[in-house]
Amino acid sequence: MILVVAEHRDGALNRASLETIAAAQHAGGPLKIVVLGSGMETVVGQLAAADAAEILIVDDPALEPYTADGFVLALEQVIRAENPERVFLPHTYQTRDFAPALAARVQRPLVTDCIAVRDGGYARPVFQGKLHADVAVDGPHLATFQIGAFRADAMKSGASPAPARKAAIAIDASRIRQKPEAPFKEARQAVDLSQAERIVAVGRGIKSQEHLAIAQQLAQAMGAELAASRPICDAGWLPMDRQIGSSGQTVAPKLYVALGISGAIQHLVGMKGARTIVAINKDAEAPIFEVADYGIAGDLFEVVPAMIAELHKSTA
Amino acid sequence: MSAALRIAQLQKERGGEPLAIAVLEKAREAGAHMLSGAVLDPSALVDLVPDFKAKGAPLAADVRRDDIYFLTRTAKFRLPITPPFFQNHGNYIISLNRFVKWLAGLVEAEGIDVFTGFPATEVLFDPPADAGQPARVAGVRTGDRGVDRHGRRKSTFEPGVDIRAKVTIFADGVRGNLTKSLVRQLGLDEGRSPQAYAIGIKELWEVPAGRLVAGRVVHTMGYPLKTEEFGGAFMYSLPDNVISIGLVSGLDYRDPMFDPHIAFQHLKRHPLIASVLEGGQIIRYGAKALPEGGWYTIPKTYAAGALIAGDAAGFMNSVRLKGIHLAMRTGMFAAETAFDAIRRGDTSEAAMKAYDDKVQGSSVRRELYPVRNVHQAFSHGSLAGAAFAGLSLLTRGWWFTDPMPSHGGWTRIRKLAEYYKDARPDPDATMNPVRIDRQLTFDRLTNVHYSGTRHVEDQPSHLIVHDATVCATRCREEYGNPCIRFCPANVYEMVDAGDGTKKLQINASNCVHCKTCDIMDPYQIIDWVPPEGGGGPQYDGM
Repeated sequence: MILVVAEHRDGALNRASLETIAAAQHAGGPLKIVVLGSGMETVVGQLAAADAAEILIVDDPALEPYTADGFVLALEQVIRAENPERVFLPHTYQTRDFAPALAARVQRPLVTDCIAVRDGGYARPVFQGKLHADVAVDGPHLATFQIGAFRADAMKSGASPAPARKAAIAIDASRIRQKPEAPFKEARQAVDLSQAERIVAVGRGIKSQEHLAIAQQLAQAMGAELAASRPICDAGWLPMDRQIGSSGQTVAPKLYVALGISGAIQHLVGMKGARTIVAINKDAEAPIFEVADYGIAGDLFEVVPAMIAELHKSTA
Repeated sequence: MSAALRIAQLQKERGGEPLAIAVLEKAREAGAHMLSGAVLDPSALVDLVPDFKAKGAPLAADVRRDDIYFLTRTAKFRLPITPPFFQNHGNYIISLNRFVKWLAGLVEAEGIDVFTGFPATEVLFDPPADAGQPARVAGVRTGDRGVDRHGRRKSTFEPGVDIRAKVTIFADGVRGNLTKSLVRQLGLDEGRSPQAYAIGIKELWEVPAGRLVAGRVVHTMGYPLKTEEFGGAFMYSLPDNVISIGLVSGLDYRDPMFDPHIAFQHLKRHPLIASVLEGGQIIRYGAKALPEGGWYTIPKTYAAGALIAGDAAGFMNSVRLKGIHLAMRTGMFAAETAFDAIRRGDTSEAAMKAYDDKVQGSSVRRELYPVRNVHQAFSHGSLAGAAFAGLSLLTRGWWFTDPMPSHGGWTRIRKLAEYYKDARPDPDATMNPVRIDRQLTFDRLTNVHYSGTRHVEDQPSHLIVHDATVCATRCREEYGNPCIRFCPANVYEMVDAGDGTKKLQINASNCVHCKTCDIMDPYQIIDWVPPEGGGGPQYDGM
């Protein structure tokens, strides 16, 4: 049996949990999911969609907020009670915090940062990702999975919701040594461009701030987020959190439309993973055309209005 | 690192109360801001780490062959003999940043703390420099972290700390920000000639097998520089088909439109170089200034509680194109002086003078004194300079006026109207354009990517222009904004202000810490100060 430890915060499931469930389904065999915390109805609801034998709920006020001691105490008991052959965890910061202690407590080996399940073991990157090593493990063990190694949308859903059960576990709060303070947050980014499916990005070729309106209109017509290359954000025409590139965000949308972006390498590293890249630039020699799937060497002030008109026609 | 290692050795040899030794390094990891050609003269290394080979010193290749070429735009002429100061038999081709990283490992193994990512921003005095009594250096202050671009404290703010020391050894490199302020505050350059600098721009390439055997050293003179411009190029071959190539240009040029980065692109297109690089791939890029002025430009290198070593003081032999061994040697002397002074409980100026005595009585002076006027002779053109360099082998450097008069390099740049008379160029144009093919030649921004430079974006600019109105008005008119050309990292840009005029934009996060702007700005209003700790290039193999 494989036991997957799901992770959540503030009532939201961490997507990496679904990826780990997908990894467990790929590995095959019966599957249980355990979730720890206090008052987790939404999270349990989401997890129940997965094709799994059972959802185990460890609901205890001592587990909220998260502490390494609390999680180790709880999971140690769950593992002793359920005795899973393997325990899968997402390779998150939180897992990295408690999993080594847990592995030592239950005296089982821990294989970290795995990217694939192999016969009798796992593959994991070594030498900063330059090589993949096959790791073989005998007997019961724990394994953590790199974010993105399995796809969350590859998780199989069950025909009916998986049954949920409260685990009968007592946690001695006096054994929790950590006293967490309020979580520390850097200023939160207002837009998360990495989640956008379509992006319209503008560069220096837009020439002035007033011209941003035309890019905005195109973005609206396409249902896309507006983003920019560095000079635009440096000039203050768009906020910094809309900057794409080595000093901004890295994105991989389905469609990326680059308007007046020459394609400096610093920008390319932030968007070359896009599935389809459309570039409009005056300079036919611009490096953006080297990565573009579709390119128009022309004046964006002529091309973009025409695109907007076409989009309106097709939706009308 | 040599100084720290030497102190640890002395402590082991002589025993006594253990000293607390710390090394502050502004880079994220030791050596990451180090860049040089580099050919190492191992004379100091054999004294500092006699078993350097057993300890795995990263010496890439023994020098097997030395050639010097004179280049014209399309042709090359090999000098039939290699002048003695260019002979590199017994030397090694190295990557300076890997070498320093290795030294840092030895230093840490001795139990010395190496604090990486902590730049020192201020010299501490006790009593202060303006208190009327003799000032003494009491340590340094490290930079604040977590300050936003408007100078406000972010939630991650951590103030800098004062590190107090009986002796502080300043080895902050060419045009070091601490040495600069120390020299100014204590007048250590009184009676010395102004330092003369050059800028070296370097790329590392991986080329198809069989182009050059590892251990080849090639130096060139002439093209792409004009005869009035000091400098030359180097091409060294390392194992695994890696080539180190660079161009050194004097920061005392006259032509305000001169662009060292463009000159470097022209160099790569020369048949001698292009035939080696073609079909290969750029791996790394970087730039760094060099102190070329020599013996007479070295400031007083000691003060109460302070010593200055290496490039920071200008210990470089510009005729042999070498300074690493001098940096190591002066670092070792500084360590010995500091150790003795602390053991005797006397770190006064008189006690610190022992450092100067060691330098004067050593190979450092024997090497630098005979060539004391050579760089200055190059101010009369490269032919006069080369002739004088040859002559000084016979005369031991003597000249009718000794020291030969010299001026700060930045004072030699001419105004557009003076240099170009009536044919005044557009400051935004390129005088000698080169085709950028992104195979062999690159624009600045692409090159910057290969330096690996990175800074926390939300922090105050670490390039302080004291009066930016000068840029758009006087400088644009008089010199045509030379900063946009001499900066090898696209930090300075003149952008449209929206009203038909231009304004200066500082892309501080592109900076590769070469210090050229601090040196060459014709109005001397640019100050390079350390950015938040850990920012800067990430050189590997350079």
